Amino acid sequence: MTRERHPVLDGHWPETERDFMAYVEIENVSKAYGPYKIIEGLDLNVADEEFVVLVGPSGCGKTTTLRMIAGLESVTGGTIRIGDRDVTQLRPGLRNCAMVFQNYALYPHMTVSENIGYGMKVRGEARATIEKAVKDVAKILDLEQYIDRRPKQLSGGQRQRVAIGRAIVRSPDVFLFDEPLSNLDAKLRIEMRTEIKALHRRLAKTIVYVTHDQVEAMTMADRVVVMNRGRIEQAADPITIYEKPRNLFVAGFIGAPSMNFIHGEIVARDGALFFIEPSGTVLAVPKSREAAYTASIGKLVVLGVRPDHVVHQGAPAGSFVRMIVRDVEPLGPHTLVIGTVGAFPFTRRCRSELPPSPIGPFDVGLDLQRAHLFDKASGQAIVA
Amino acid sequence: MMRNDPIKHVFIWPAVLVVLAISIFPLIYSLTTSFLSYRLIPPIPPRVVWFGNYVSLLQEPRFWNAIYTTTLIAFIAVGLQYTIGFAVALALNARVPGERLFRVALLLPMLLAPVAVALVARMIFNPTMGPLNQLLGRFGLVNLPFLTNGHWALGCIIAVEVWQWTPFVVLMMLAGLQTLPEDVYEAAELENASAWQQFWGITFPMLLPISAAVVFIRLIESYKIMDTVFVMTGGGPGVDTETLTLFAYQEGFKKFNLGYTSALSFLFLIAITIIGVTYLALLRPHLEKRR
Ligand SMILES: Nc1ncnc2c1ncn2[C@@H]1O[C@H](COP(=O)(O)OP(=O)(O)O)[C@@H](O)[C@H]1O
Ligand SMILES: [Mg+2]
Repeated sequence: MTRERHPVLDGHWPETERDFMAYVEIENVSKAYGPYKIIEGLDLNVADEEFVVLVGPSGCGKTTTLRMIAGLESVTGGTIRIGDRDVTQLRPGLRNCAMVFQNYALYPHMTVSENIGYGMKVRGEARATIEKAVKDVAKILDLEQYIDRRPKQLSGGQRQRVAIGRAIVRSPDVFLFDEPLSNLDAKLRIEMRTEIKALHRRLAKTIVYVTHDQVEAMTMADRVVVMNRGRIEQAADPITIYEKPRNLFVAGFIGAPSMNFIHGEIVARDGALFFIEPSGTVLAVPKSREAAYTASIGKLVVLGVRPDHVVHQGAPAGSFVRMIVRDVEPLGPHTLVIGTVGAFPFTRRCRSELPPSPIGPFDVGLDLQRAHLFDKASGQAIVA
Repeated sequence: MMRNDPIKHVFIWPAVLVVLAISIFPLIYSLTTSFLSYRLIPPIPPRVVWFGNYVSLLQEPRFWNAIYTTTLIAFIAVGLQYTIGFAVALALNARVPGERLFRVALLLPMLLAPVAVALVARMIFNPTMGPLNQLLGRFGLVNLPFLTNGHWALGCIIAVEVWQWTPFVVLMMLAGLQTLPEDVYEAAELENASAWQQFWGITFPMLLPISAAVVFIRLIESYKIMDTVFVMTGGGPGVDTETLTLFAYQEGFKKFNLGYTSALSFLFLIAITIIGVTYLALLRPHLEKRR
């Protein structure tokens, strides 16, 4: 591997000249702390130059996965490959990954430029080379006027950029981000989101990014990997994840406000299929879906309806549910109407120019063509 | 409470008076004495000599010898205490097996009274009957003049000082090490920094403030070394191990030359102040960077 050229300094690394494909292969990896199995049989392939986001609730093992890729955590079983190298037993320093830590982990006693240049200094590069690289990185990240400050004298967003600067100056094979935006305020978070995406386009490097924030995952990723309890629930591009959630967990986790779930049963009556909810709501299954749902007749199922998949006018008969409205939340561009359908919480999103729903019972037409159905026992989607 | 509530005087004045009574007045008293020729034996009435005591002290080779000896002991002992103490703290911080036991065992020397330690040390180092020389004899080696040769005696005193006070350094450095953030080391690990580079690039600079404090405390304390030397060698052989405190003791309580002794104490105070100020001035640029 030659590393004379620097993608940050020299612009893009021309595809033909690259001699190292920095794909990451995680094969049947497991991790246990003593008797606690945190991760079991994880398989994940990240393509070269792909931006993959691991998303999932707190404690589902995202950080652990990332740290295993970095080598900061040993694996209990399985193999990790970066490019054509098996790095499973390799120490972190030899894996050529750069990590941006949640709390930045900047060297508190070093200035911004020393922080960024430390890795190069450690590798014994010439002072002039380091200075030039640090300067260029500082320019990219808009840190030039802070170059002599210490981390303590910087704001959260600036520290964040220093941490990113420290990562990109090395021109690593893989970037690892562990919830890098979670300590920033909402506005800055959105800005940094865009910046990191732009950086990815510019550097064209493999990125594995961890977050618990599904909006971050959806907006940034080439591919979203939804994790839960140390397992991958679904890995797909953001739109697929949103429109075709493979199971109840993914459906409930992705999307804000989250998908409404109404538990019930599929029954066949008079040659048609109906979804019946215990409190009495009856919905007619669209003709196009009957074939797929036939197998579920008599089974307990969960109907999933996104808050915006409601019809405001002209919904056909058999697609109405009675919603008890409890609260109305005007958010500006749209308004959330919050309440229940039967025993289940239900949220609906309306355009804000529509007159607000009164508190109390209200009939809501559902867009059943776009609704999801899940088998209650297995949680798996019943795909129409 | 408001800032200028008169009740504050009730709280402040007792403290001020106590400080005045126990430290400022004696200081002024001894400063006055240092300008007098004031001997108890023979009892001549005090006579003002102004800087006479200081001048004769500065011309006294024994005074310069005491300064040299004290400085030698202080710098070598503290240097060793710091180096060994830091190394042990690093080892303990790396979670060696039996680390808790080590910690307790390490505390013991510090808890012992220096006089007791010195007494034990004097017995161990006794040139003829001490177990150390007996041990050497058993291996067919010659007896060593531990306390009877000037250089050996200095070495023994330094060894005892190191033995007794290294645990203090260990404790302080261990406390410092435990405040260091872990993820910073992980970041360095990812940059492929070796353990050696991590120590000099991260651990040492981050512990510089606490190191400065520890060395400062030990240095000042070491300058005041008294009991260890008093018991082990009494300043001997000759005046080879005579420290400033011991010199002052000889003048004050053997010769009852109080004016002279007070002047000596003040020179001592000045010497320590100079050392302290120089030390802090040298370190300041390094410490200030870390604000
Ligand atoms: N050193 C450890 N010892 C025992 N359990 C741990 C340790 N580190 C993490 N865990 C557990 O592993 C699980 C996954 O942790 P983590 O990967 O940090 O989750 P996430 O980053 O997705 O929030 C958590 O349930 C946590 O309690
Ligand atoms: Mg985490």
